[in-house]
Amino acid sequence: MLLSDLLDSDAVDADGRRVGAVIDVRLEVSGAPRQLLADTVVTGLLVSPHSRFSTWGYERRDEDGPLLIARFQRWLHRGTFLVAWDDVERVDEGRVVFRRGYTARDAALPRAPRER
Amino acid sequence: MTENPDAFQTDAAPPPAGQVLDAHLHVLDRQVLDRDDVPVTTADDLELDGIEVGAPIEPGSPRPTVSAILTGPQLVMRLFGGHAPAARTIRIPWRLVSEVGTVIHLGVAGDALDATWAERWVSRHLIGRIPGGRHAPE
Repeated sequence: MLLSDLLDSDAVDADGRRVGAVIDVRLEVSGAPRQLLADTVVTGLLVSPHSRFSTWGYERRDEDGPLLIARFQRWLHRGTFLVAWDDVERVDEGRVVFRRGYTARDAALPRAPRER
Repeated sequence: MTENPDAFQTDAAPPPAGQVLDAHLHVLDRQVLDRDDVPVTTADDLELDGIEVGAPIEPGSPRPTVSAILTGPQLVMRLFGGHAPAARTIRIPWRLVSEVGTVIHLGVAGDALDATWAERWVSRHLIGRIPGGRHAPE
C-alpha cells in the first residue's frame, strides 16, 4: 500500500461515524536494526476533524510564526488527534476504521527532527 | 468516548522509542541526496509494507513498515489519483536511507540507483557524443 492511499482517507469509528480525515501518518525509526537506519514503523494516524489538507503541521508543534498563518492553521486543524496503529481495525479503500473504544491521543510532535 | 473531537486531546502519546517522523510533514517532497551529497530525486510517495486493504487487523499484529521511497511518475499519481504501472515506478529501498532530516540522506552512491537512469542515459547518449563531453573541463 502507498502512503498516498492512506492520506485523505475518511476516519470512521466502529459504529461507522466519520470522525475526521487522515491527514498524516506517524512513523518511528524504532524497528529492527539495519546497517544504516533501523526499520521505520507506522505507529499511528493523525486525524483532523475539520480539514483534509495538511500543510505545515503547526497544530503539532509549538511554532507560532508567521502569526496569521499559524493561527489559521491551528484553527483549520483544531481538534486534530493521533490514533495509535494498534487501535486501527481495518483499512479500506479511502476509509480507515478504528476499533471500538479507541484512544484519541495528543497529536503534538515530541520534538522536531531538525532540533536533533 | 465523546462526540466532541476537541475533547479528545487528553491522553498523551507514549514516549517514542526512536526518531519520530510525520510522513507527509517530514518525508514527502523532501530532496534525496546520495552519500556524496549529490541530489538524486525527491520523495514523491512511500511504500508501506504490512497493510492489506479490507482485511481485519488482528490486535497485537506487527506494525506496518516503510519499505521504499517512490519517485518518477508517482507525484502526478499522488496529486491526481491512481497508481502508476509497476514497471514505471521507481523505488529506492528504505534500507538504503541513512538519515532523515531537512533532506533524506542515502548511504549509497546515486549512480547505482534506478532513480538516476534518465540522467545517466542523457550523459551517455547525448552529452557523451559532444566533442569533449566525456571528460571534465580542463
